Amino acid sequence: MNKQGSKSVARVGLAVLSGGLLLAVSCWARAPFSDEQLADQNEELLSLVDLGRDLWHGSKPSMSSNGLACGNCHPDAAAANPQTWPKWASQLNHVGPMREMINWCIVHPQAGEALDPEGRDMVAMEAYATYLYRGARLEPGLASRQTPPVAVKSGVGYPKTPSGLGVDK
Amino acid sequence: MAGQAGLCGFAARAIGLNLGLVDVISAATGPRASGSFSFAIITDSHLFSAPDHKFDKSLADAVNQINSLPNQPDFLVYTGDIAQNGTEDQLVKGQKILSNLKIPVKFIPGEHDWYLDMGKAWRGLFGKETWSFDHQGVHFIGLNSILVKDFWTGSGLTPRQRMSVMEMLESPIAGPWGIQSEQLEFLRRDTAGLAPDTPVVVFTHSPLWDYYPRWNFQTSDAPQIREILAKFEHVMSFHGHVHQTIYNRIGNLSSAGALSTSWPWPYPPVPLDFPGSQMNRADPANSKDGMGTQLISLTLDGAFAGKVEYEPFADSLTPFLKAGLKV
Repeated sequence: MNKQGSKSVARVGLAVLSGGLLLAVSCWARAPFSDEQLADQNEELLSLVDLGRDLWHGSKPSMSSNGLACGNCHPDAAAANPQTWPKWASQLNHVGPMREMINWCIVHPQAGEALDPEGRDMVAMEAYATYLYRGARLEPGLASRQTPPVAVKSGVGYPKTPSGLGVDK
Repeated sequence: MAGQAGLCGFAARAIGLNLGLVDVISAATGPRASGSFSFAIITDSHLFSAPDHKFDKSLADAVNQINSLPNQPDFLVYTGDIAQNGTEDQLVKGQKILSNLKIPVKFIPGEHDWYLDMGKAWRGLFGKETWSFDHQGVHFIGLNSILVKDFWTGSGLTPRQRMSVMEMLESPIAGPWGIQSEQLEFLRRDTAGLAPDTPVVVFTHSPLWDYYPRWNFQTSDAPQIREILAKFEHVMSFHGHVHQTIYNRIGNLSSAGALSTSWPWPYPPVPLDFPGSQMNRADPANSKDGMGTQLISLTLDGAFAGKVEYEPFADSLTPFLKAGLKV
C-alpha cells in the first residue's frame, strides 16, 4: 500500500471512530432541561440582574464614601460597554476584565471599598450591565472610542421585581 | 450699564439678599440695542451634604473660572441641580459658593433641588422659579421644566422616597416632566406684547426637544412652548440636565446644553442632527474631564446671533467645539 492509500484508510478509521463516539455521547447525555428548570435558571439570573441594578444605584453603602454610585455616570450602564472587555484600560495599566474596572470605579471616583472579585455582588454587577447589553456584538479590546449605550425604550430594560409602589411600568 | 448691574448685584449679595436681581438687570434694559454682550452659565453641581466634598471644589472652580474672565459677563444663569438630594444645607452651600461671583445671578431649579420639599427651601433661597427680564433689548425667560405628575400621594411615599425616585436618571417611575399649564400661560402672557423681531432667550433645566425621554432629556410640553415662541425670528434655548455639550435646532429655536460641574453623562443612543456638537469621551481617571462652565456672547447687529464658548476644566473639546458653538 502506498502512502496515499494508508492515509485514506486512516481517515476512514477516524471517521468511524468519531461517529461511534458521537453516538455513544448522545446516548449517555442526560435529558435536556425541562421548561420548568429553564425558567428557574432564568429567574436566578434575573434575580442577580436585579441585585446588580440595586448595587449599581447605591444600595451597598461600603461601595461609596462620597455618595456617588455607578449609576451617576453610567445610567442604564451606558459607557460601561461590557461587550468590549477584556481590554486595555489606562486606569488599570494592563488588559483586564470588566470586574477590575468596576472595582477601580468603586475605589477611585466613589472612594469606596472594592467588591470581592469572586463574590456574588460582583457577579450581580456584571450580570446587570451584561444583561442590558444583550445582543450587542462582542468587540473585546475596543478601548479607543465609546460605543453607544443600549437603547432601553421603557421600564427598566428587563422584567424587574415590582417595587411595590404600584407605579412601575 | 453692565458695570452698574454688577455693582448693585454685589451690594445685594453683600447684605445677604438675592432679591432685586431682576430689578437690577431690568434697570439696564432699554429699547432694542445694537452691539453685543455676554452672559455665563453654571449648572448641575449636585452638591452633597458631606463637608469638603469634591463637588464643592468643582463649583468653586467654576466660580473662579467665571471671575477670571478678562471681560466679565453681564450676569450668570444657574440652570438647576445645585443640590443632589434637595436638602436645604446643600442648597445653602451652593448659594454660599456662588455668592463669590462678581456678577448678578439668576436661578432656575432642577429636579434634584425640588422634590424633597417641592421647592420650599429653593424658593426661600432663590425666589420665584418662573421669571423674565429684559437686558440690552433681549428678552430673557426662566422656566421650571421638571414638574411631573403626582406619583407619590397615591403610593404613600415619604418626601425622602419621592426625592429618591427623582434622583435616579433612568427611573421608570416619575415619567416625563414639563413646565405644565400654569407656566405655559405665563409664557403666553409674557411674550404676547413682544414684537416678532425681539431677541428671546429661554432657560430651562431640560432640553426643549425630545432628545432622550428615557433620561428625561426632554420637556414634555416643548411643542407648545415652541408654538408660543414661533412668532419670533430667532429664539435661543439654553439648558442644563444633560451634563454635556449638545446642540439642536427646530424651526426658529436653537438649543444648547451645558457642561456640569459634577460629572459628564454619556451621549444617549440616538442619532443627532448635529453630531459635531458632541465633546470628547471623558476620561474617568481625570476627575475634571467633561465638566466646566460656559460663556455665551450675543450679537444684536443685524440678525440676532449667539456663540457658546464652552470653558472646560480639562481638555474635553473637539476642535469644532473649541472654535465656539454658533447658536
